[in-house]
Amino acid sequence: MPSAPRNPTVVEKLRRHLISQEGVLFMIMLVSVLFLATRTDKFLTVDNLLQQGRFMTEVGLIAIPMTYIIITGGIDLSVGSILGLTAIVLGWSWQELGFPLELAIVTGIASGTLAGFVNGLFIVRVGVPPLIMTLATLALFRGLAEGISKARSARGYPEWFFELGQGEFLGIPTQLWLLIVAVLVFGIVLARTQLGRALYAIGNNETGARFSGLTVNRYLLLIYTFSGFMSGVAGYIFVSRVSTTRSDMGTGIELDVIAAVVLGGTSIFGGTGSVAGTMIGVVLIQLLKNGLALSGVTSDATIVVIGSVLIFAILVNNFIQTRRGGD
Amino acid sequence: MKKTLAISMILALLLALVSMPLSAQDRWDGADDLAVNPLACGMGDEMMDDSDEMMDDEEDMGMMEYDGGQPAMMGDDMAGMDIVLVDVPKLVGIGYFAATTLGQQQAAEELGNVSVTTDAPTEANIDDQIQVIDAYITQGVDGILFAANDPVAIAPVLRKALEAGIHVVGYDANSEPDAREWFVNQAEFNGIAKALVDSLADQMGADAAFGIVTSTFTTPNQARWIAEMWAYASECYPDLTWLETLEAQEDAVLSFQQAQTLINKYGEDMDGIFAMTSVATPNSADAVQQAGLCEDVAVVGLATPNGMKPYVNDGCVRDVILWNPVDLGYAAVYVTRAVVDGEFMPGDSSVMAGRLGELMVVNGSEVLLGPPFVFTADNINDFDF
Repeated sequence: MPSAPRNPTVVEKLRRHLISQEGVLFMIMLVSVLFLATRTDKFLTVDNLLQQGRFMTEVGLIAIPMTYIIITGGIDLSVGSILGLTAIVLGWSWQELGFPLELAIVTGIASGTLAGFVNGLFIVRVGVPPLIMTLATLALFRGLAEGISKARSARGYPEWFFELGQGEFLGIPTQLWLLIVAVLVFGIVLARTQLGRALYAIGNNETGARFSGLTVNRYLLLIYTFSGFMSGVAGYIFVSRVSTTRSDMGTGIELDVIAAVVLGGTSIFGGTGSVAGTMIGVVLIQLLKNGLALSGVTSDATIVVIGSVLIFAILVNNFIQTRRGGD
Repeated sequence: MKKTLAISMILALLLALVSMPLSAQDRWDGADDLAVNPLACGMGDEMMDDSDEMMDDEEDMGMMEYDGGQPAMMGDDMAGMDIVLVDVPKLVGIGYFAATTLGQQQAAEELGNVSVTTDAPTEANIDDQIQVIDAYITQGVDGILFAANDPVAIAPVLRKALEAGIHVVGYDANSEPDAREWFVNQAEFNGIAKALVDSLADQMGADAAFGIVTSTFTTPNQARWIAEMWAYASECYPDLTWLETLEAQEDAVLSFQQAQTLINKYGEDMDGIFAMTSVATPNSADAVQQAGLCEDVAVVGLATPNGMKPYVNDGCVRDVILWNPVDLGYAAVYVTRAVVDGEFMPGDSSVMAGRLGELMVVNGSEVLLGPPFVFTADNINDFDF
């Protein structure tokens, strides 16, 4: 229905926000939190919520580039393996090669970035579909991590190393600050810059984007490398949090990340999505996990409930968005 | 251009991986190079003497100081009161930890003033396990029993539990010692090694020749066991002939093939196969059975009963060495109860654990479940894991 071009009133603006993907999801989250808070008084406390912030940082950080990638219609399944590879390279270069720990951290993150770059290169230059390429490197990077570590773990880090993963800054877990900054910066990059627009354009119509003169390959290479970098950073945080490196670190994290991104309203077919939505997805899943555990639901039942909530949230959102499209 | 670059980079990575030098072996293939502590010689029947001897060893070396951690004192003495424990194994949904849970429930029922719930991730994932424990600390329980997916990674959250005044006792897989009060150790490496070697020597004679199918030369547990077997056999059965160790990862097909390789290569000269993993043991037994050599080649290995029932029940394999996970879970609950009641303190040398009797303290803050358990045709059908 065509409407007159006039400035929307405050109420209309509010209504538009509320029935947006993010708005609906936010309300589902609010309802869940309130419900969980009535089940146990241990859940809605500052300490507990901050602790959950600590636990979700790695997934949150990787979910940002994953949002970018899924918006372009791609996928990166290798993020968990890159996380593991980074952790192993960090620990191995420190303990076996005798690098100073600072340099080992940089080497670790650099190897994660390189891993992402390799993904991007094959996707762009050789034209391997992202699903296939990253499925292959999911195995390859994990194998590398296992080979380098030879099933041994590096431990015994100095005290300062744990600051990022276990420490606090101004009363808030250190790594959560990092996540907040990353979300703000990369959220704005996606929503307000040329790069962001280009990603949406690629997702909506890659061929069209190419013919419009967008350097599609360069953008794709950039975001897969970015994904490797963020997985590397997440790997560093993870090692700092659990104080050891193991080659099986981050196994299965790609599914948590993709679940959060898709729950957050990013279309798996590309073209739509936002960092804000993704973050609501990340937070919702983490709070459900924790809240259910605190209300005495066992872990195996918890994953069933989370799966159901995922489906429910996506159905509700689809229903509302379809209705909204009609008005 | 960039493609070439990428390919060469990957090649370089792979090359670096392959060319990593294998560590030099100054022991039997597959053994590690850590210090060994072989037990005194003796046949498996003398189980009680065995543990006495172990205590003698312990005294010879001087009792190790208690190195566990202690919970913060929270004021209220829970001695004799009802306590709520949560059990967080590596994962749920597998027979092994179902068996430890069963043992815990048996202990809780006998004691009457303990309730235990088992809750753990459905996959053995370090981070999920940490989050489960963290949630129980927030929720507030009297004690946490755990089997760690990683000894170091789990330590911070266990220390947090101790700080919150929660008792922490491990079983099956240890954490850093100061992150828990006690660890119920199901079997020491030297105990397993002795049981394996004794079994083979008993079946095939002290001059038997054997091969080994292991996971890899660098897998920590397997390497430790082989090192201890080497040390124990050198002392107690110097006439045993060590033929060869083959790697089979933890792969069923490969294990079968490697056992076959040993059979084909050594034929008549080989009297036994040690299988070091729960995958290698049934598959080695299968290879021996298919070659029709059940009488001539004894398979002795570490494995879970379910996988070995076919071979034990039809007589192809006599002994399967492991520990009894039901007793392991049972002991963990008794130890925790004793700790809460103040009956088991740092520095004590033993603890009473219901039907298991007196269990000895080893390595400072570990409670030893006892000698390994030998599954035979007489008892293997009583177990389901």
